[in-house]
Amino acid sequence: MRINADLCNGCARCIIMCPTNAITLINEKAIIDKDLCVECNVCYRDAGCPVKAIRTEKLKWPRIIRSQFSSVVAKHKLTDIPGRGTEEMKTNDITGRFEKGELGISIELGRPGVSTKICNIELFTVKLAEIGAEFEEESPVTALFCDDKGHIKEELKEERVLSAVIEFKVPLEKFVLVSRIIRDVENIIDTVFTVGVISKIENNNYSSILDLIDQQGFKVAPNGKVNIGLGKPII
Amino acid sequence: MEKTTHSLHRIGNFEDLKGDYVVLACLAKNINRETQEGRKGLARIAHILAQNKPVRIIPEFAWKISPVVTAVYDNIETVKKIIKILKQEDIGISIVVSGLISEIKQVLEDINLNIHTIHFSLGTFGKKELLPHKKILEISTMCGHHCISPQFIKYYYRLIKKEKITVEKAAEKLAKPCVCGIFNITRAVSILNELTNLDL
Repeated sequence: MRINADLCNGCARCIIMCPTNAITLINEKAIIDKDLCVECNVCYRDAGCPVKAIRTEKLKWPRIIRSQFSSVVAKHKLTDIPGRGTEEMKTNDITGRFEKGELGISIELGRPGVSTKICNIELFTVKLAEIGAEFEEESPVTALFCDDKGHIKEELKEERVLSAVIEFKVPLEKFVLVSRIIRDVENIIDTVFTVGVISKIENNNYSSILDLIDQQGFKVAPNGKVNIGLGKPII
Repeated sequence: MEKTTHSLHRIGNFEDLKGDYVVLACLAKNINRETQEGRKGLARIAHILAQNKPVRIIPEFAWKISPVVTAVYDNIETVKKIIKILKQEDIGISIVVSGLISEIKQVLEDINLNIHTIHFSLGTFGKKELLPHKKILEISTMCGHHCISPQFIKYYYRLIKKEKITVEKAAEKLAKPCVCGIFNITRAVSILNELTNLDL
């Protein structure tokens, strides 16, 4: 994003809209901090700039990655997938992506609303690769890898995005290893992250999964996402 | 158009979350997303969601192009009614309900359906001192993509305090950046009422 200083009247509408506090008023002109800006387009789309001073830019590699991970309407050019995540459990009744005995895990860096540098992804993915986590092939994050050891392409590491979701699955018995990685990274990371656990459910009974999560010292929120099983493989 | 809606990790207490349910229908890539039947079925689901008084729903132009349709409701009874219709019509497209898991489970048992898969939220970790006030988060996390900034919420908090805007009008204004249509305006009104009793 950029703001045309000649047009800007200093009304500050864009400042309050910015999710990452990237815009400040200097000498009555709105200025964008290019490091903090994640190219989410929220200022352009929703601030209603009265003098149309906010402009989008044709982003080049590697900065374009910011938009692909941060803008709600941007299509993901690396993967041809729009958005930050995948279908994950939403279509599990059709795809069978997560089977009995497996756990899907989503770790979303930068969420809620703090943002993250791409290099933070590696804090998790290298360790997850070591324990044999199966990364989701369709995930935009997986497309950032430069090898099968969870390393991220060097030129992307300093780019900042609103959030990035690491999606993978492991056998149930490896949840203890994933938990240790989460605890280790929690202490060194410079941003926030959310964690989600996906499980196929038998006979409406999920107490064993709650026990497994509880044993690792995590607290499960009362609200979550429930696939109600109305999908059919072919319609 | 966005394929995910990020309806996991909506922050709130149990009582408050009783008024916050997102219903989502999603086409599956390489299975029904590319078929005419899939597209037709998704449009039918969008109509059902729209006819049952959602608080908000994904814009109508997106029904034909997005692989996902979404709507948010402020009570479980309406969600139950919708699930009954969807079960009866047997459209065959995946349906996900986000909200209180125990309440959703009860609804499914009442109408002889089984949970297929759950995505549990384990919450937020890391440098939590960077997060805004919990009440601000309760509002901002209703847009899972975080297009609603804490400053934007605080701006309306101040206007409400100065009686320059009603809580209801402020909630509508806050909903605008959430293009997925899952920002719950009814719940936002309730949270804003609590928020304006606080000194931030």
